[in-house]
Amino acid sequence: MLSLAVHKLEIRYPGLPAPALDIPALFIEPGTHIALTGPSGAGKTTFINIAVGMERVRSGKVEWDGENLAAMSEGRRDRWRARNAGLVMQDFHLFPGLSALGNVLLPQRLSRFRLPGDMRSRALDMLARVGIDRADQPVETMSRGQMQRVAVARALVGRPGVIIADEPTASLDAGSGEAVASLLLDLARETKATLIVATHDARLTGRLDRILQLENGWVRG
Amino acid sequence: MFHFILADLVRNRIGVVVLIILVALATALGVTVTLQERALRLGSARAAAPFDLVIGAPGSETQLVLSSVFLQPAPLPLVSPEVLAGLRADPRVEAAVPVGFGDFVESNPIIGTTADAVAMFGGLTEGTAFDHLGDAVAGAEVKRAVGSTFRPFHGNAGDVGEVHAEVQYRIVGRLARTGTPWDRAILVPIQAVWDTHAAHHHDADEAAAHQHGHEDDFAAQPVDNAVLDGDANPGVPAIVIKPKSISDAYNLRQQYRGDTTLAVFPGEVLTRLYGTLGDARRVLSLVATGAQALVAAAILMVIATHVLQRRRQIGALRAFGAPRAVVLSIVWLETFALLAVGLLTGFAIGYGATHALSQRLGEASGVAMPVELNVSDAWMLTAFLIAAALVTFLPALIAYRQTPAQALRS
Repeated sequence: MLSLAVHKLEIRYPGLPAPALDIPALFIEPGTHIALTGPSGAGKTTFINIAVGMERVRSGKVEWDGENLAAMSEGRRDRWRARNAGLVMQDFHLFPGLSALGNVLLPQRLSRFRLPGDMRSRALDMLARVGIDRADQPVETMSRGQMQRVAVARALVGRPGVIIADEPTASLDAGSGEAVASLLLDLARETKATLIVATHDARLTGRLDRILQLENGWVRG
Repeated sequence: MFHFILADLVRNRIGVVVLIILVALATALGVTVTLQERALRLGSARAAAPFDLVIGAPGSETQLVLSSVFLQPAPLPLVSPEVLAGLRADPRVEAAVPVGFGDFVESNPIIGTTADAVAMFGGLTEGTAFDHLGDAVAGAEVKRAVGSTFRPFHGNAGDVGEVHAEVQYRIVGRLARTGTPWDRAILVPIQAVWDTHAAHHHDADEAAAHQHGHEDDFAAQPVDNAVLDGDANPGVPAIVIKPKSISDAYNLRQQYRGDTTLAVFPGEVLTRLYGTLGDARRVLSLVATGAQALVAAAILMVIATHVLQRRRQIGALRAFGAPRAVVLSIVWLETFALLAVGLLTGFAIGYGATHALSQRLGEASGVAMPVELNVSDAWMLTAFLIAAALVTFLPALIAYRQTPAQALRS
C-alpha cells in the first residue's frame, strides 16, 4: 500500500511542441483503485512508464511514499520496481518455453540471488487463486485469458505495494476480460495494494474508486 | 537465470544447432590445417630420426633423402664399391648399411642391405635375420607371414613390372616397428639384389635355360659379406651410416662431401624442405583464417539481429524487475555459450579429422603421423574463447543500454 505524489512533472519528447505529459500536482491515496482513461496518445502509457520508473524523469518529482523516482539512478529504479510494483500489460509479455510457474517465478529469480524459501509455494497458491490448475503447463499452449491470469499471478506474487495494469482486458474477449478485471480488483483489495489501471473498458472503470482522465498530457477531473 | 537461458535456447533449438555447426566447422577447418601440418612435420622428422647420415653419389641431396629414408623410387647413380668398403672399415662408423632398391612385391619395396640394418632399426620381433641369399626380413607393416615366399618385380610399385622369375625369397623374420616407411619394406641381402640384376642383364634365353638350377643354389647360398669389403661389386645408390659420436658424424660428412660422393644429414635436408612447406602452410592458414572471419562476421550478424528482435522481450525482463546486470549476463551468457560450444566441438572435430586423415596418410606412405596437441593449442583455444567472450559482449551492450520503456515501445 503506497501513496503516489506527483509534483511539477513534465515530459517532453524531441520534435514535439507540446509536452507528452504535464502534471503540476497529483496525489493518490494509498490503497485506492484508480482508472486511467483517455484517448490513445493522451499519455496513459507514458504516465505508467513514469510511475513505475521505466523512463527517466528530467523535471519534477514522482514520489512513492516519499521515495522520489526522479532522483534515482536507473539501477535503483529497477530495484525499486522489482520490490514494489506489480505490472500487468496488454500483451502479457510471458516467456514462451517456460511453464506458468516458471513465468510467475521468473522476475523473483532474476532480481535476487536465491528464491525466498516460501516463494514457490506462494507462486503455486497464487496460480491456484487466479484459476490456473496446471502450474507446469507451458504458457504458449494457453488461451489468452489464461495467459493474462498467469500475468496477474506474476504481478502479485511479490506482494507489491502498487499494482499497475496497462489495458489488461483490451486483448481479451468479454468473458475473460471480466474475469481478469475481477481478479485484479479482488487481489488488490486483499493485498491492500494501490491499483492503477489504464483502460478503455467502461465496465472496468465503473468498478474503480476514482477516474483520472488524461487528455493531451493533462489530467482532467 | 540459467533456467531462462536454457528455455530460450531450447525454444530456438534449430537456429542454435545450425549456428553451433557453423562455428564448429569453421573452427575445425583451422584446427585441422594446424594439426595436420604438425603431424606431417613431426611424422617425417621422426621417420628420418634413425638415419643419422646418408652417403650417396653426387646429385640431389633431397632426392637422396627421399629415396633412402622415404623409399621413394628414383634412378640414383651408384657409389663406387670402395666407398662402402672404406666406411665398413672406418673406426668412426658403428654401422654402415647399404641401401639398394629397384624391386617391389606388390606395394612393398624390396631393399637390398646387410643384416646390420636389422640392429640399426631396433631388432626383430619374430624369426631371424637373413643368412642366405634367399632370406628376407619383412617390415612391421608388411602383410606377409614369416615363412611365406614371394618373387620380386622389377619396376615401380603398382606398375606392371617384369617378374624376376628366377628368384624366390622366403621371409624369415620381422622387424620391430620403426614408424618410418621402412615398416613397409622387405629387407633382403644386397648380394641377392646384385645377383638378380646381374642375371637380369644376361641374355634372356640363357637365363631361361639356367632358371631352374639357378633358383635352387641361389636361395641356399650363404650370405658372404666379404664381397662388400672389396671392389668386386656394382656399388650401391645409398649408404646409411650410424656414426659412433656426433663429432664423428660431422667428420664423416665433411670427408665424404666431395667430387665422388655426397653426404647429408637427413634432418638438415628435411628442415630445408619444411622451410618451403612452411609457405604452403601459411597460405592454407590464411585461407582457413579468411573462412573463419567470414563465418564469425555472419554469426555476429545473426546474433545481433536476434538480440534486436528480442528487444521487447529484454525490455519486459527489465520491466518485471530484472536488474540491468542480470539482463546483460543473460544475453551475454547465452550467445557466449553458443560460440563456446561451437568452438569446443570444432576443436574436437578438427582433432578427430586430423586423426582420420593422418591414419590414411600414414597407411599410404608408411610414415607414422603423430597427431599431438600441445600448449600452443591450449593457448589458441583460450584466445578464441576470450575473443568470443569479447565479441558477444556487443549484443549484450545493445540490450544493456536501452531503457525498458524504449524496449517495450519498439
